[in-house]
Amino acid sequence: MKFKISKKDISTILGRVQGITGRKSNLAITANVLIKGEGQGISFVATDLETGFEGHYAADVEREGAITINAKKLFEIVQNFPGEEVLIEEIERQWIEIKNNNIVYHIVGMSPDDFPDVPRVDEVTFTRVATGNVREMIEKTVMIQAPSDEKRAHITGVCFERIQQADSQLMRMVSTDGRRLCKVDVEIGQEDNFVPGESVIVPKKGLMEAAKILDKEEFVEVGVKDNYLIFKMEKETVIIGLLEGDFPEYEQVIEKDDAFDIEVDRKLFSMMLKRMSILSSDSYNSVIFNFAANRLEVTATNPDLGESKEDMAIAFERDEVEVAFNPKYLIDTLNVINDERILVNLRDNHHPCLVEGVDEKRFLSIIMPMKI
Amino acid sequence: MILHLDMDAFFAAVEQLDNPALRGKPVVVSGHSARSVVSTASYEARQYGVHSAMPLFQALKLCPHACVVPGNRRRYQEISAQVFAICREYSPLVEQVSIDEGYLDVTGCEGLFGSPVDMAQTLRQRVAKETGLTCSVGVAPVKFVAKVASDLNKPNGVYVVTPESLDAFLVALPVKKVPGAGKRTVALLDELGIRTLGDMRRFPLSTFTQKLGQAGERLYALAYGRDAAGVSGEPEEAKSISCESTLEKDTTDPAFVYARLLAQADEVAGELRRKGLFAKRVTLKLTFADFRRITRQTTLTRPTHLSGHLYAEAVTLFDREWTGQRIRLVGLGCSQISHDEATPPSQLDLFGQVARQEVRDEGWEKVEQSVDAIREKFGKYAVTRARVKK
Repeated sequence: MKFKISKKDISTILGRVQGITGRKSNLAITANVLIKGEGQGISFVATDLETGFEGHYAADVEREGAITINAKKLFEIVQNFPGEEVLIEEIERQWIEIKNNNIVYHIVGMSPDDFPDVPRVDEVTFTRVATGNVREMIEKTVMIQAPSDEKRAHITGVCFERIQQADSQLMRMVSTDGRRLCKVDVEIGQEDNFVPGESVIVPKKGLMEAAKILDKEEFVEVGVKDNYLIFKMEKETVIIGLLEGDFPEYEQVIEKDDAFDIEVDRKLFSMMLKRMSILSSDSYNSVIFNFAANRLEVTATNPDLGESKEDMAIAFERDEVEVAFNPKYLIDTLNVINDERILVNLRDNHHPCLVEGVDEKRFLSIIMPMKI
Repeated sequence: MILHLDMDAFFAAVEQLDNPALRGKPVVVSGHSARSVVSTASYEARQYGVHSAMPLFQALKLCPHACVVPGNRRRYQEISAQVFAICREYSPLVEQVSIDEGYLDVTGCEGLFGSPVDMAQTLRQRVAKETGLTCSVGVAPVKFVAKVASDLNKPNGVYVVTPESLDAFLVALPVKKVPGAGKRTVALLDELGIRTLGDMRRFPLSTFTQKLGQAGERLYALAYGRDAAGVSGEPEEAKSISCESTLEKDTTDPAFVYARLLAQADEVAGELRRKGLFAKRVTLKLTFADFRRITRQTTLTRPTHLSGHLYAEAVTLFDREWTGQRIRLVGLGCSQISHDEATPPSQLDLFGQVARQEVRDEGWEKVEQSVDAIREKFGKYAVTRARVKK
């Protein structure tokens, strides 16, 4: 195989697959990227056996064929290439030459026959969704990451739903780590070929990889079939194997009684939390909130370091509530809310606390208090 | 001046005190299995050559009519506490080094209680009167010499090394009597013709640092009566509580190990509750048939004193680490001990698992408290877990 490609294009493509090829799998070859040259273009394939990437691009193919090469090394090589173009050629069996003017690399590849097949899913009914919305949905939900030793599907994965309501249809992602949960809805237009379906659990890692391709085009096709979630763009496709498991019944947790709403300024609240979290450590990671008549007092105590206290005026007219939270959870949430005014829906010190924007209702965050 | 108090044949003496039938007879406190070792032998048994750390079968060869008793650690602790309470009346600086021995720094207490020698005698008499047991006391200006001295007039005696006689005492003191000088050290020095601390003084320090490193340096200082160690006041609170047992025979049966861990969890958790403590870290210790030994630990999200928690963590560690080796010894311990349960607030969870766990824990809390109360009244084996054999 022999082809010529612009340095910028190949860098971008290889940048997108690093997350996938960088993940350890049971096969050594998954650290490689498969490059196939056919007719007028070349395709790049990468997989970690859970998430697969496939992209087709225009390139100057002189001789057809296929190679696999270590994705990290190839990425580093082309990134540092001077000039505009890179020439890649298989000069002997699995012996790949990468060159441009006076620079030449010879890299050992692996046999393309050993490269695992990325699953082919046919006859998928795709729904068209604005790329920005999907990306936002992913970014806000994968914010709640799973610890590296976590095995439970409902924590390592995000619940993806397609809900048909009386007058609207929406896609929803829900993510949790057992202590907090967030939900992002995206409304789907009538003409966008919405297909309602069962809830599925999608690995957070795969979603993060998918988010990387959601940058150029305006729309992405989203479809679920045969245990796969597929994101399809004009040139690129990401296909993610679904997780098996049950997602907890979260409806009860997100039920909201407006009577408990407290309105606060997002920025001021966020800054206050940051100041309070300075004293938190692994063993003392709580901040105590005292909601009293029109006044919120926040204290953080760490026996190893010291304590801090701050208060702010808020509109609050109920009986006093004292509640503890891990400030990190609140800060994470405030960082992804677009509204400047937010609603903190607080019942008492042992029920979930709901946080959302005053106007923007697509994103809802639920945080469980700590036991004082 | 420093006093070293050492109970005489402590465990055996307690058994003889509690059971008059044993008095005057050779008593050996030990486990009962073929692989047990003697933890204490009474003076009657010592006449036959039986001593601590000797395998039981060997002890029984030497003294076939010895009465072997299993030992009752709680009872020993009780008396030990009594003895050290007496010690603390004479000096604020009491360092308990084990269940049956300790140091008192009585410097400056003379005005109240008389000379150190008088104090040693009073101490010995009061211990005898109040506990019914005898002890020996060594008196010396240096800590290690006090320990050596307490052994010289045993049982039930006092031996004094005055500041004036210290030098002569050291010169004549055989190296093998010095605490911390092991077989290897003694043999090495013997090659140089050194038998006593006095002999050591004929060599330069470098001889010993070369051959023995830091231990040589220490020994050389001791030869001149310079002991860096002082009496370190109140003993620190227990940093860990653990329990281990050598199995009657090596096993590859996990169920057997589980049962043993359960018994140990019960023991350790009971100890925690008795002392009003909570532990945050659980350690599993395994020795395999080839004497290879591993310890593995895990940190809990909240401190506990429930045996069920300790057991569950130990089993998780065991399941992860054990790959079929033959097991010789199993041990369970806990550390990161504190007086209170979770002081910092703990995170609640959305779907109620934590809350459900807490309800379960509260139930177990009651169960274990009741069990403690029953055992307090009717003995350790009045109630046990069904899986734990006595």
